[in-house]
Amino acid sequence: MTTTVAPLGVDRTWLARLKRIPLDDLRYLVRSVLKSLFTIWLVTTLIFFVIRLMPGNPVDIFVQDLLLKGLAYEDAQTQAASMLGVRLDRPLHEQYFEFLGNLAQGDLGKSYISRNVPVSQMIVQRLPWSIFSIGTALLISFALGILLGMIVAYKRNSWIDHLLTNLAAAMDALPSYLIAILLILLLCTVFKVIPVTMTRGAVSPGIPPGFSIDFFVDVLQHYALLAFVYILSRTGSWMLTMKSSTMSTLGEDYVTAASARGLSEGRIITAYVGRNASLPLVTRLALSIGFVVGGSVIIESIFVYPGIGLLLSQALYSRDYPVMQGVFLVTTIAVVLSNFVADLLYGWLDPRIRIAGEAK
Amino acid sequence: MTPTLSIQNLTIEYAVRRGAVQAVRNISFDIRRGEVLSLIGESGSGKTTFGLGVMRLLPTMARVRQGSLLYRRDAASDALEVLKLNDAALRAFRWKHVAMVFQSALNSFNPVLRISDQFADTAHAHGYLRGNLLAARAAQLFTLVRLDPERVWRAFPHELSGGMRQRVMIALALLLEPQLLILDEPTTALDVLTQRNIIDVLKELRHKLNFALLFISHDLSLAADLADRVATMYAGKLVEIGDVFTIFQSPRHPYTTGLIRAVPTLTSDRKDLTSIPGSPPDLIDLPSGCKFHPRCPLASARCKSEEPELEDAAAGHQVACWNWRAI
Repeated sequence: MTTTVAPLGVDRTWLARLKRIPLDDLRYLVRSVLKSLFTIWLVTTLIFFVIRLMPGNPVDIFVQDLLLKGLAYEDAQTQAASMLGVRLDRPLHEQYFEFLGNLAQGDLGKSYISRNVPVSQMIVQRLPWSIFSIGTALLISFALGILLGMIVAYKRNSWIDHLLTNLAAAMDALPSYLIAILLILLLCTVFKVIPVTMTRGAVSPGIPPGFSIDFFVDVLQHYALLAFVYILSRTGSWMLTMKSSTMSTLGEDYVTAASARGLSEGRIITAYVGRNASLPLVTRLALSIGFVVGGSVIIESIFVYPGIGLLLSQALYSRDYPVMQGVFLVTTIAVVLSNFVADLLYGWLDPRIRIAGEAK
Repeated sequence: MTPTLSIQNLTIEYAVRRGAVQAVRNISFDIRRGEVLSLIGESGSGKTTFGLGVMRLLPTMARVRQGSLLYRRDAASDALEVLKLNDAALRAFRWKHVAMVFQSALNSFNPVLRISDQFADTAHAHGYLRGNLLAARAAQLFTLVRLDPERVWRAFPHELSGGMRQRVMIALALLLEPQLLILDEPTTALDVLTQRNIIDVLKELRHKLNFALLFISHDLSLAADLADRVATMYAGKLVEIGDVFTIFQSPRHPYTTGLIRAVPTLTSDRKDLTSIPGSPPDLIDLPSGCKFHPRCPLASARCKSEEPELEDAAAGHQVACWNWRAI
């Protein structure tokens, strides 16, 4: 052949790309940050007013509790007022601007019920437990769902497909609290495989936290059933989504073309089928990771697990406005942030979807 | 001279709920070294199934009922029975010996990988060049198919136009110097000018590089332009095969005649244009005898009961029709 060979610089184009991007990227970044801040403000404001529209206020609920304990109404009211020290009679807008002002200084306020404990401190205490338990369980269920979804798509119409698909649909349809209660009943009460104390809290009382084997084992024991319930209830939906996504990817021409090109089965499964099929699930995962910060209200409540979810459900019950606001704010920030990360990640994983400014 | 690919009694069926779709029925012919053979026929005549069958890329519901595909890389080498290759050997065979450009080459590239990565994947799978050597070889091929290597190499598929992608696919197909290139309606999705361009590229390529080309098409003018020989397929069967001049000037099968008459030419009158009456047969429940007889103007009693096999009408010109002498 007598054609001339044009040089194909790999490094040069890479450098050129780097140089070209910043301005577009910067604009995109600034716009996204502003949009995110606006979203967070909007959600926070809505939450502020909506939780105050809920029937009853912290004082009423506290008074009711005291009444149930047998106190006289007058006594209960004075006691509640002095214990809570909350002035709920102030105009709502005044309270709102005070809340915003404090928020701007990074102050989330103090809990009404646990007097003098800053909300931020409560959240910081609870957050690690939620991130650890729900976070790892989410990642495990995602990985398992992707794997099983691909297996089932490759072996469609085999017994394993029928078995797993039906199982997944059933688990997806069952509410997680039902699974949790059933499992606790079966494993702890009927068959007595697991001591009931392992399903209450995050650690056994009396075990000092620290880098000791006892502590780790105890934490894992308390975590196991909760995580198992979460994985059981979530893997099905990941699997079913991955199955349909894989099946449509398998029908793509580029997969046939890859076989025609003689690529190894492993390369086709990972880089041609798996990667493309899991793209739509990545966004969902990123969003779910955002929600991890909010914990899982139902599962944590059942297992009395000291995560954010339990904190929220307790705050909801006692109408502890500052705690609710704090938890919702942190969750909102996490979701907005993970949404942003999902966008970037998606653009990186799928070159067809690049940020708006980059298109010529 | 020994043929590049010798197809003997190839029969392919699809198992569907209603029964067996007889997509390819007992086809035998040779693809000669370095020739361009055009396979023409209506949609659903089994052309694509045949092409996929040669690559053994048929979907799982398809079965090769019988036949043999003997491949020889060059006159001196031993024949390879493609239908008997095991998985590893088949993987090595594909693309190195027979490459294929698909009907929808627009979707033949993984959308999330750069062109360079897809070349590297292919090269890697066959233990071929890598790194800068591969880039240089690719640049050579891109120039051959009239593409700017700088523009294409690091691009993602969606950054290229349809015609460009099709040419990248042709370049990729030529990477390992296959002896047979199957083009399955490579220009269907493209506009007329781009079609022309691709055909010109192909003509040029086959003179520079010596490979055989199986050009599957329903576009007779493109087939006529490119081909050395033309084969007509109807209802999964080869009904006529001969060199391009014979087929277009004195076709012997009424179906081929019908196909040619259905295409307008620059010089002919509009009243010369006729379409073939009826529609292609149901491949599950084929008519008796000659499968074309319900649509054939020359159908006789014999056509309804007995199916004709290919017979010599002239030297190098075979036709499967009882009444070919009457045409």
